[in-house]
Amino acid sequence: MLAFLQVLSSGIAIGCVYGLVALSFVLIFKATQTVSFMQGDLLMLGGFAGLALHLAAGWPLMLSALAAVLALALLGAGLERAVLRRTIGQPHLVAVLLTFGLGMMMRGGVASVPAAAQDMYRLPFAADTLELGPLVLAASHLWVIGATMVLALLLAAFFRHTRAGIALRACAEDARSAALMGVPVARMHTLAWALGAGLAAVAGLLLAPITFVHLNMGFIALKAFPAAVLGGLTSLPGALAGGVFLGVAEALAGLALPEGAKDVVPYVLLMAALLLFPTGLAGGRGGGDGR
Amino acid sequence: MKALRRLALALSAVLAGASAHAADVAGVSAREIVVGHVSDLSGPIAMLGTPVRDGMLMRFDEANAAGGVHGRMLRLVVEDAGYDPKRGVLAARKLVQRDKAFAFIATMGTPVVMATMPVVLDAGRLHLFPFSPHKATYEPLHPLKFQNFAPYQDYMEAATRHMVERGDYRRSCLLYQDDDYGQEVMRGVEAGLGKLGRPLVERTGYKRGATDLSSQIARLRAADCDLVVLATVVRETVAAMAEARRIGWQVDMLVTASGYSAQTHELGGDTVEGLYGVSVLPHPYAEGANPRLAGWIERYRARFGVAPNVWSVMGYTLADMFVRTAEATGRDLTPAAFARTLERIEFAGDDFGSPAYRFSADDHLGNRHGRLAQIRNGRWELITDYLR
Amino acid sequence: MRRAAVLRPLLAWTLLLALAVASLGADFAFGQATLVVTYAIAGLGVVIIVGQAGQIVLGQGAFVALGAYAQALLVQAGVAPLPALPIAAAAGALGGALASLPAGRLGGLYFGMSTLAFALIVEELLVRWESLTHGAAGLVVPAFGLAGWTAGTPAAQAAISLAVLLAVLAVCARLLASRLGRAWRAVREDEAAAAACGIAPAAAKLRAFAVGGALSGLAGGLYAHWIGFISPEQFGLVFSFELLMLAFIGGTRRLAGAAWGALVVVAMPQLIAVLRDALPGDWARSAGLELMLFGAVVVGVVLLRPQGLADGSGR
Repeated sequence: MLAFLQVLSSGIAIGCVYGLVALSFVLIFKATQTVSFMQGDLLMLGGFAGLALHLAAGWPLMLSALAAVLALALLGAGLERAVLRRTIGQPHLVAVLLTFGLGMMMRGGVASVPAAAQDMYRLPFAADTLELGPLVLAASHLWVIGATMVLALLLAAFFRHTRAGIALRACAEDARSAALMGVPVARMHTLAWALGAGLAAVAGLLLAPITFVHLNMGFIALKAFPAAVLGGLTSLPGALAGGVFLGVAEALAGLALPEGAKDVVPYVLLMAALLLFPTGLAGGRGGGDGR
Repeated sequence: MKALRRLALALSAVLAGASAHAADVAGVSAREIVVGHVSDLSGPIAMLGTPVRDGMLMRFDEANAAGGVHGRMLRLVVEDAGYDPKRGVLAARKLVQRDKAFAFIATMGTPVVMATMPVVLDAGRLHLFPFSPHKATYEPLHPLKFQNFAPYQDYMEAATRHMVERGDYRRSCLLYQDDDYGQEVMRGVEAGLGKLGRPLVERTGYKRGATDLSSQIARLRAADCDLVVLATVVRETVAAMAEARRIGWQVDMLVTASGYSAQTHELGGDTVEGLYGVSVLPHPYAEGANPRLAGWIERYRARFGVAPNVWSVMGYTLADMFVRTAEATGRDLTPAAFARTLERIEFAGDDFGSPAYRFSADDHLGNRHGRLAQIRNGRWELITDYLR
Repeated sequence: MRRAAVLRPLLAWTLLLALAVASLGADFAFGQATLVVTYAIAGLGVVIIVGQAGQIVLGQGAFVALGAYAQALLVQAGVAPLPALPIAAAAGALGGALASLPAGRLGGLYFGMSTLAFALIVEELLVRWESLTHGAAGLVVPAFGLAGWTAGTPAAQAAISLAVLLAVLAVCARLLASRLGRAWRAVREDEAAAAACGIAPAAAKLRAFAVGGALSGLAGGLYAHWIGFISPEQFGLVFSFELLMLAFIGGTRRLAGAAWGALVVVAMPQLIAVLRDALPGDWARSAGLELMLFGAVVVGVVLLRPQGLADGSGR
């Protein structure tokens, strides 16, 4: 029972990271109809940006983290302005290839720094543990879970109560009508990319104490696809829930199922979800938007 | 159709021309020796690839600064295959046919080694010290094939046997990466335990790049292990130790040479204190180094901007063996002569504390022995000599 | 087909090969040519799925892997390489059909997701099913042979690949002119209209994936012999994206485009290596530089000719 709870807590924490990446992917996809294959690279870049500011430039940790997220949001916005908006109205494959190429450039850019290519690093926070009776929880896991909840609430408030959030939602629902209503659609696209890149950076920083910061840390973003599909591909809360579900399913599969099953569980779930619940586990509207 | 026929004629003329010059020894001219290196600078083992290459570059530069080998300058041509055998084969063909490499040194990664070795050997070039634990790199005996690193199996058999005897562990378990590396270690651990008549109580794997090992550790704990052998690389080593300590499990762990890295304690801090490891080469710590080693570390740092690690030492040592063998071979450098010399030379220990490497006419594996180390006070301390 | 339409590309390719042989040396050039042609066959699979039927595939590498493993295992079991090739193609076809099945009703991006998931599952299966595939330790594949003769030289390998490519191109050309080819294009342009005309879109899409998978499986069968060693990770995501790039560069509408795309995809990393060697000093040492340049080329290609895939595919 204790082992079960321990594993469950790690599963939820990792699931939150999947969920955040899935969230960033779905946010961009919904608002701009662009499939981004570089969320993992943005995540990695966010981790390294925080690291560079803290270790190399000597900024305080929280400030570095904040600055890293802002920097990545700016990068996202800049990329949207410079290149990504050219994919609007093009087939999905154009965006897939374009973002894949951009992701390679980011990886290459980081790998060009000898210290980054050779070593991995630890961001010095959340190394301790918390004891609740016999249950021992890692502070890093609690951090991830707490930060994800706070972010989710902030995002919900943003989409519900701010002008920009409502406009972004309108834009995602129906870009043409939104434009007719006076929503600056192009600016909304930029905003979506800024948010998406910033969220990926947050995921990277939260992941940093768990897996350290290194060149290949972005591979975790592959799990965001099953998470997004489980959530119905166009639902923000669905993506987050899908991620947590996936993390828990994976962790429990590792405990109960035979060797190796853990690693295919996310993808088997993805295929099963497409077969059985094409609009996501939560059901509801919008399954066809993925076309 | 006439145009086509003329084209075919021109084509065959070019073909004949291309295969005409093959008189001298490939890669050896009056002024230069070309050495090829197929590396991984962008793939999953890029963290090894870069320091190995830099170590080799450093040794070759030193040799060149000292006038070269019998007046010939050494030139290392590096190609990045990124752990991908397709790119490896293309790189090997380029090195064979265009750069005319005299020898291939330290090819990185089993898939790349397995795909490129036939290309290299068929062209009659030396295939030296690849980074692959595969037996095919030295067996069956081939006049041009030499290997410096034993399969993990050999190191781990001796290390497991020694550890279990030393600590009288009853319930040994294994956490392994589910690839060729993990398999090799598993065979070694099983063989070592088999010799003592003890079972491998539980084994559990993880996928390369896995983020979370909590379910694996929970499994091992449920099996009540008293020794966990880790076939992991640096990050997973730290993650496994941290996870075990987190759930309050004070079990002894032994990691392979892949986890024997300064990064393990730099990243792990207190959580990895007490971890055992297998060392094939000691880590070059600047603190407490003898003056010659300290000088080497300083030169390396000045040249490449980062501190050297055990892989840098490995690269440097391999290049050093190449230089010394080429020097001992004399002016008439051919692959066959080089191989005969390599079979005779004894490479005794050096400033780094390397093991003695020795090849013979019927054994092309240079070393089979590792030693045990433990993390004490935040650094690796060697606790045994090379295990026989 | 008119003679000029066949003769002109033939002349262009022969000239290119002659140039390559003259400047790179015969063995190297033929080795390259073998790989280009094999990539082209695998890429044809993407051209069918993406260009003709207008769907998305993100896991094409897995179909190549299935073909390669089928071929390697059959040859190991004593089947001659030539008769094994159709079975390799069948393995790829089966993979294509299976991968596309879950998204059959949804189409579009969902095909991308399901093929991606399928590819990751296949990779894991190849690692785990050790008794059959030797897991991550990989399989050594003997040289391609025919009745006592083995294709040991790069020139022979290039000739065999070329023969297969030409045969496959002929078959594909006929297929595209057939009912099925028309059905694909109808589905690509407008699914609802196609359905109204009595075409079953789901069946047409399934067949596109099966045919695309078969082509890539066939290429995998050849590839296993040319590289001589196969292991699960070499058919991963990067390979799938290389094939996508190939189809994108070559243009997905014309079959012959696959060959040009393959040439670019195979040659590009090497051109980049040449460029890297030309750079001064420590820049050349940087591991990330090649990756960055490759990414830049991908971005450049996509931005410069987004119409390579335009109107109708994937959306």
